[in-house]
Amino acid sequence: MDKHLTITNTIRTLRFFAGEMSQQLLAEKAGVSRQTILAVEAGKYSPSLELAFRIALVFGVPIGEVFSCEECERAAANKPGTQQEGHA
Amino acid sequence: MYYQQKKSIVSIVISVILLSVYYIYIIGKLNAGAVTLDDAKFFAVTMLIFIGIGIVATIAVQIIFHILFSISIAVQEREKDSETIEHVVKAAMVEDERDKLIDLKSSRITVIVSMFGFVVGLLLLALDYPFGVMLNIFYGAAGLGAIGEDVSKLIYYRVR
Repeated sequence: MDKHLTITNTIRTLRFFAGEMSQQLLAEKAGVSRQTILAVEAGKYSPSLELAFRIALVFGVPIGEVFSCEECERAAANKPGTQQEGHA
Repeated sequence: MYYQQKKSIVSIVISVILLSVYYIYIIGKLNAGAVTLDDAKFFAVTMLIFIGIGIVATIAVQIIFHILFSISIAVQEREKDSETIEHVVKAAMVEDERDKLIDLKSSRITVIVSMFGFVVGLLLLALDYPFGVMLNIFYGAAGLGAIGEDVSKLIYYRVR
């Protein structure tokens, strides 16, 4: 198993759809610094689960809409149950 | 450059100055023949004094830096009302989980360098070097560790 997961996020898109919300405003609403939002958005820093939920809460979307993991999605797609459902 | 990075630079400057002043003072005393490397009590007292000076100087300089940083933001945002300025200052100085993580990761440097200095000091003591040499190596390693911690903070803020 790979040590690091490829975690991606849609924060930039979500900020755009939230009326081009600034990083500063998102940082204030999530209770962190703008540098942290900048690092998370750039994929340089993986936030704690709590911060991830707080960011999702700011946009009013489920956490899965903000953060996703390529490996997890691939694993979910390859899950036997999922494949059977797909073939049915 | 952000508040935490500037704070680290201020800490580096304080540590470098304190360490330099200490060694200039010690070397001056040794060259003048006022003390020898066997005078463990002199080194212990001097180190305690410098540790005290270091703590006071760090607190004082950080307070001054905090005030100057707030003033610089207030000057930049002078066209806004005082409530907004206060809000901007608070937002710029907020410490979050990433800062704590970087603090934690960087503090390993101090521990590693200090331990390395301690072991080197013990080795020299085992090789019959005077006790003052061991004390000074340990003090220097602790000082270098503190500088290394702040340097690694700057690196972490750049890459993470």
